[in-house]
Amino acid sequence: MKALTRMAGISALICSAFMWMAFSSSADEDVPAAIGPLPELEAPNPDQVELGKHLFFDVRLSGDGSISCASCHQPENNWTDGKDLSLAYPGSKYFRNTQSIMNMAYKRYFYWDGRLSGKDPATQVRDKITETHFMNLDGRIMQERLKQIPEYVKMFQKAFGGESSFGKTLNAIAAFEKSQISKNAPFDTGKLSKQAKKGMKLFKGKAGCIKCHNGPMFSDFKAHKTGVADHPDLMTDPERASTFRSVMKFLGIPNYENLRSDPGFFTVSKLDKDFGSFVTPSLREVAGTAPYMHNGTFETLEDVIDFYAKGGGKNAELKPLKLSKKNRAALVAFLESLSGDEIDFEAPVIPDYQVIENWLETKN
Amino acid sequence: MNKFKRSRFLLISALAVLGCMVLAMSSGAKKGASEIPALASLPAPPIPADNVQTPEKVELGKLLFFDARLGGDVSISCGDCHSPSIGWQDGADICRGYPGTSHWRNCQTIINSAYFDKLFWGGASRSLEGQAKSAAKGGVAGNGEDDLMEERLRQIPDYVKRFKQVFGTERPEMMDAWRAIAAFERTLVQRDTPFDKYMNGDKTAMSKDAIKGMKLFKGKANCTQCHNGAMMTDQKYYNLGVPENIVFEEDALKQITFRYEQYAKGVSEEIYRKVKTDLGLYYRSKRMEDMGKFRTPMLRYLVYTPPYMHNGVFWSLEEVVDFYNDGGGEDQIAKGFDKGTKTNLLKPLNLTDEEKAQLVAFLESASGEEIILDIPALPQYGVDRGDGLKVETAK
Repeated sequence: MKALTRMAGISALICSAFMWMAFSSSADEDVPAAIGPLPELEAPNPDQVELGKHLFFDVRLSGDGSISCASCHQPENNWTDGKDLSLAYPGSKYFRNTQSIMNMAYKRYFYWDGRLSGKDPATQVRDKITETHFMNLDGRIMQERLKQIPEYVKMFQKAFGGESSFGKTLNAIAAFEKSQISKNAPFDTGKLSKQAKKGMKLFKGKAGCIKCHNGPMFSDFKAHKTGVADHPDLMTDPERASTFRSVMKFLGIPNYENLRSDPGFFTVSKLDKDFGSFVTPSLREVAGTAPYMHNGTFETLEDVIDFYAKGGGKNAELKPLKLSKKNRAALVAFLESLSGDEIDFEAPVIPDYQVIENWLETKN
Repeated sequence: MNKFKRSRFLLISALAVLGCMVLAMSSGAKKGASEIPALASLPAPPIPADNVQTPEKVELGKLLFFDARLGGDVSISCGDCHSPSIGWQDGADICRGYPGTSHWRNCQTIINSAYFDKLFWGGASRSLEGQAKSAAKGGVAGNGEDDLMEERLRQIPDYVKRFKQVFGTERPEMMDAWRAIAAFERTLVQRDTPFDKYMNGDKTAMSKDAIKGMKLFKGKANCTQCHNGAMMTDQKYYNLGVPENIVFEEDALKQITFRYEQYAKGVSEEIYRKVKTDLGLYYRSKRMEDMGKFRTPMLRYLVYTPPYMHNGVFWSLEEVVDFYNDGGGEDQIAKGFDKGTKTNLLKPLNLTDEEKAQLVAFLESASGEEIILDIPALPQYGVDRGDGLKVETAK
C-alpha cells in the first residue's frame, strides 16, 4: 500500500508536469477546436474488455467487499450514480459529483480537478481501487482474491497470457471503460431538430459555450472558474468534511485544516489564481447525467443555462448573456442532441470464490 | 508529524530489533536450570518514559479502543477482535479479520499485553503503540488509513477537547491516538490470580492439585524451559511442530489471506509458490533457521482465551498438555524445506492422567476473575458551520 502511494505520488508529479506543459501553451486559446464527431479509436482487446467488465462489477475489488466500480458508475444511470455528490467507501463520503465513464477514452485528464492524465486510464483505476476514500483495497489482497476465482484465472490467461497481476487488473478495467463510447447521437448523425440547430448556433455564437466546450468531446480539458458555490454538505456532513480534508492533506494543500471551499484545479497547479476552478466537463451524454457541475448543485440543464446566462457565480471568468427563454430552450435542445443510443447493458454474472482443493499440494 | 523523522525512527527501531534478535538467537538452545528465571507474581507493568499514564489519557484510550472510526469502513474497532466479553480476544481459532477478508492467526488477549517486549506471534511490533497502529491499518485487520482516521477524530468535538487536554495539541494527532490506546491497554493487567496470591505468601490461594501441577510445571514436564518468569514466557521463538489448522484447506478467504501474507511480508517467489505453513519469525528475520518459530505466549488469563496456539488449533488446555506430553508435533518446516527447525527442547513427558489434570489445574490458577468492561458510549461527530465544531442535535 505504501509503495503504491509512493508510486501514485510519482505519477502525480509526472502528471502535474504534463499539465503544466499543457496549460502553459496558450497559442490556440482564441480559436476553439471545432466540435464534431468522435474520432475512431483502436478498439481495446475484446478479451480484456470482457474481463474488465466482470471486474468493474465485482465488489471484491473494494476493501470490505461492499462496493464495486459499478456502485457509483451505474449503467442504468448513464454510468453515474445520479447523486449530487458521490458516495464513497463506507465511513467516507466524497465531495464531488460522479462522472460518467462514457467516452472516457477521449478524456485528456481525469477528475474534476484534472489531477490524473487521460493518457493513463489504468492509473485512474488504480486510484479508485486503492485510495482509502474510494475502494480502500490493498492491491496485494486484490491479486490474491482474483486468484481464488477459477473463472478469472482463465480469463486472465486468455486476455493477457499469464496469471493475474495488479497491472493486468487495472488494464482490463481500463479496457472495459475505453469500450464505452456513445453512438448515434443526433449531433453526430446530423439528424438535428430545427430547435437543436438553432441551439448549436447559439452554442457556437452568442452564448459562447464553445470557448470552453469545444472539440469532439465538447471540452477543452482546461480548468476554468465558473463560480459554482460550494455544496452546503461539504462542511456540514461530518463524513464528507473529514473525507474532504484528508484528501486535501494527501494532495498537499496548505492549511488544509482550515479549508472550507473546494480548491479544484489549485490542487494540481498550486497557483492561487486556480483556486476554485474545475476542468471543463464533456457535454456528450449530458442530458442523462444530471445533476450537474463538480458538486452536482444544479438539477437540470435549464438551471445550468440560467447560471451561465447570469454570468456564473462569484469570481467567475464569465460574462452575463442576454438569452431569451426560447434561446435557452434551443440550447437545451442542442445539448440533448449530444446523447447517443440508450445504454442497453446487462450486468455480468460474477463468479464466486472457490476453495482450492488439495490446498497443501497445490502451488500458490 | 515529520514523516522523515518517523521513518528514521522506524529504521532505528528495526535495527534495534534485529540486534536483539541476533543476541537472543545466539544464546544457544540448551539452558541450565540456573539460567531459567523463576516463576513469580506479576509486578506492576512497565510504563515507557515517552508515554506516561494519566487518568485522562487512559480514559481517552478506552474510548478510542472501542471506536470503529479508527478503521477502514467504520464497522469494527479494536474491541471487536479484542472483545472484553471473550477474554479480550475474539474466541475464534483464526481471528475474524476485516470484513470481506479473514485474518490468518489467532487473536491474542489484551490482558497483560503491557508486559511483552514485542507484540504479535512473530514479534513484529516493539510496543503497544506500534501494535495498535499496525492492527488498525493492516489490510486484513483494521484497513484504516492515517490521514482519514485523523480527520475523523478531528471532526469529533469531544475528542478535540480530550486530545488537547491530554497531549496539548490544537487538533488530534494520529500518533497520540495510538499512545492513548496503549495507555488504556496498560491498565488491563491481572496481578491477583490464585497463582499470584500463592507466590505472595498466601499458601491457601492455590488448590492442592494446582500446587502439584506447579511442581510438574517446573520439574517433570519442564514447561519452565520456555514458560518462565512472572509472565510465564521467555518471549523467545520456537517451532513446536504445531499441526496445521484444517480451516486453511476449507476456507477460500483464509487461502487468500495466507497467500497475501507471503506476498506482503516479502518472501521470495520460490517460497511464495510453495509454502503452506506459517513461517512465523522468518518473515521478520528472513533467516531459514527462524522458519515456523513463534513467540512463547504467556500462560496468564488462559481460562478465558481458548483456543490456543498461533493458529488456534487446540480448543482446550487438556489438548495443549497432551500435545506437549507427546513431545510436540511433526515439524511442518521439514516437510517443505531442506532443514527442519523444530526445537529439541520438547520430549515425550510420560505424564499420567492425574499429572495432566494437575498441570491444567496449575495453568488455571494463573487466571483470576474475568475482566469485564462495559463498552463506553462514544462521542459524536460535530459540524463546523464557521463558528466552531459542535455536535448538532438531530432535527
